[in-house]
Amino acid sequence: MTNEVLQNWQFIFIFVALSPIFPAAPVILNRLLGPQKPNAIKQQTYECGIETVGDTWIQFKVQYYIYALIFVVFDIEAVFLFPIAAAWGLLGLFAVFEVALFIIILAVGLYYAWNRGALEWF
Amino acid sequence: MFAAPTLNLWVITPLIILTVWAIILMFIDLFIPAGKKQWTGWLTLVGLIPALALTLMQWGQTGGAFIAEGGQPMVVVDNFATFLNTLYLLTGILAVFISVSYIRDAGLERGEYYFLMLFSIVGMMLMGMANDLILIFLALELLSIPLYILSGFDTGSDTSEESALKYFLLGAFSSAFFLFGIALTYGATGTTSLPVILDTISLDDPLALAALGMLLVGFAFKVGAVPFHMWTPDVYEGAPTSVVAFMSIGAKVAGFAALMRVLGQGFPMWGELWQPAIVVISALTMIVGNFAAVRQQNIKRMLAYSGIANAGYILIGVAASATDPEAISASLYYMLAYLFTNIGAFAVVIAVEKLDGQKGLLVEDYKGLAKRHLLLSLALAYFMFSLVGIPLTGGFTAKFYVFGAGVTAGLYWLVVIGAITSVVSAFYYLRPVLYAFMYEGPAVARVSRGLMFVLVVAVFATLVFGIFPGPWYELASQATFGNVATFVAGG
Amino acid sequence: MTSQQVIFIILAVITLASGLVVVTNRNLFHAALAMMLSFFGVAGFYVLLEAPFLAASQLLVYIGAISILIIFAIMMTRRLMSTDESPFNSQWIAALFGTLLIGGLIIFVIVSVFSPFGDIIIANSAPPSLAVQESTVLLGRSFVDPDQYVIPFEIASVLLLGALVGSIAIARPEKES
Repeated sequence: MTNEVLQNWQFIFIFVALSPIFPAAPVILNRLLGPQKPNAIKQQTYECGIETVGDTWIQFKVQYYIYALIFVVFDIEAVFLFPIAAAWGLLGLFAVFEVALFIIILAVGLYYAWNRGALEWF
Repeated sequence: MFAAPTLNLWVITPLIILTVWAIILMFIDLFIPAGKKQWTGWLTLVGLIPALALTLMQWGQTGGAFIAEGGQPMVVVDNFATFLNTLYLLTGILAVFISVSYIRDAGLERGEYYFLMLFSIVGMMLMGMANDLILIFLALELLSIPLYILSGFDTGSDTSEESALKYFLLGAFSSAFFLFGIALTYGATGTTSLPVILDTISLDDPLALAALGMLLVGFAFKVGAVPFHMWTPDVYEGAPTSVVAFMSIGAKVAGFAALMRVLGQGFPMWGELWQPAIVVISALTMIVGNFAAVRQQNIKRMLAYSGIANAGYILIGVAASATDPEAISASLYYMLAYLFTNIGAFAVVIAVEKLDGQKGLLVEDYKGLAKRHLLLSLALAYFMFSLVGIPLTGGFTAKFYVFGAGVTAGLYWLVVIGAITSVVSAFYYLRPVLYAFMYEGPAVARVSRGLMFVLVVAVFATLVFGIFPGPWYELASQATFGNVATFVAGG
Repeated sequence: MTSQQVIFIILAVITLASGLVVVTNRNLFHAALAMMLSFFGVAGFYVLLEAPFLAASQLLVYIGAISILIIFAIMMTRRLMSTDESPFNSQWIAALFGTLLIGGLIIFVIVSVFSPFGDIIIANSAPPSLAVQESTVLLGRSFVDPDQYVIPFEIASVLLLGALVGSIAIARPEKES
């Protein structure tokens, strides 16, 4: 790995290093600066202002899983399109048709899933 | 010498028709109300029959499309591919006739069944046409994933779900082997194109040897050859019978198609290396398949082991092709004859199966069938005779050619094992026939019109192959790689 | 030590430590989260190996999608938080043996290819024949070039469509039936 390559990635590395600080900072600052007078009601789990009922770790419905499966399919579609986007300036009209065909075939799948009610949560 | 234009869509026209029709059918299916889904089934034929017609028109033609690295095409159409494509399309058409009434009566009637089947057929056809390992892998997945789903199509039944899960896990496992084999091949040769592999592979490269081994394991899983056959009985037992009828032929033939092309066009000069491996697998497959089948009480499990055993017989031709590329014509003919016999046998199983609660699947449930359904019982007897290999059946001529190819190649003891195990197979094949004719019993059957059509076609075809095998074997012998022109890049 | 070696060691520690958490943690959910971290370390390796497209795929597919799928699958199981079961079952000795066998084999291959041992990490760092950005661009071109991989590319979309239809067929809500 050459230094030049390393330089291309240095921003990514900096982002990776810095990004945990942003969510961590408010939490830590809160802990340091805020007054701490706990009581039983304050210690309760907060859930949209409603009192929690039962265990929070409940069994989820299968609909979420279909949702995730469909997400995987379109995620892979995005991965396929990513290098084409990188090469887009070099491609001709034929490539446009190819990519359109690729997307249309998967759009059919989306329409089908939608129509079958696979995108409903209920 | 064949000079192909770069974008030779004629080669893949049947595939395009099937894919486009599957997608259109998805839309049509949305407007077909539940309870009328048999229309989706019959409409499947609108895609399959033109695809079959076009495939038949491609007979005798040799061409390639999508010229890739090394000037070699990604997809080829030659007599080998056309012969096998015809087999898949015939299987698909017959499977539609079997399925429509079966899945309605079993309460599984949903439109997905049919277009998943179409997707699977596209994958099968690509298996024989692909000239590149990457494409073979994609075809393998395209054929397998719909079959995993179809195995578990009976979502209310635990055995069906078990079958789908086992099929999926072991299928994914074997795909991993296959993929690893592709990766090692690429490591050894720097290419995935079969003809380029042939040109660049060096015989003493241990990496290439490991690659070939991995590829063989992957294929052996797919065709259900011993010792990679464990999934077959459980999957066949649990999956809906119409699905089993379809995949026991389609998936197996497709596995063999890719195996033959990879061995015959990618690694032919390694014949003396892979021949012993195939011989051992073939012998084990015949022995284990036939002896395990003897013990089965469930007819679907019995036919599963029978399918394993038949994979062993087909492998004789593959093993013989190491020394004589023409020998695969025997295997091709075997698959043609096996298609009709096997689908006929499954049609009888479906007719006898009672759909309320998975009954009528034991061999004993055939007791007394001949009293009420003489013609059906005769058809059953004929298919079983054919599977044993009794003369005047397609199964006999198929075994005759395969054993002949084995003898010509000098694989005498393999042929001896084949002959002995054929005798063993009579024990279990003839048991349901014996029960049907010799015993009293309450067996009843329901033969829908679609099933009747399949039975008639299967009996007729098995008879034709049994009495006039010559012209059909001639077709099969035109479909070997020996007659295929080398592909050259075209402008 | 060069900067790459420092990065490699950091990534290796992240990947191996989180991998160890995955197999030893009693809580499945926490194991899944640790697995995401392990995937992240692997993505880092791909960057070091100058395979940015693989790194991006690893992030998008494995961390973005597969992990979500696994977490949803865990949340669908019934005794979700039962942490009383040990992750070691009766076959852990066989598993250990198999793992050691494969690990030993891999180490043997690496050592035999890149001896002397000390240079393993950097021995293969000769740049591949393509420059880095170029490899992604070339891949993109080959996907849509009729003289290369256009047919596998389109077949892949059909495969994804089949998988989508299939997943709906087996898991869709029992609304219509």
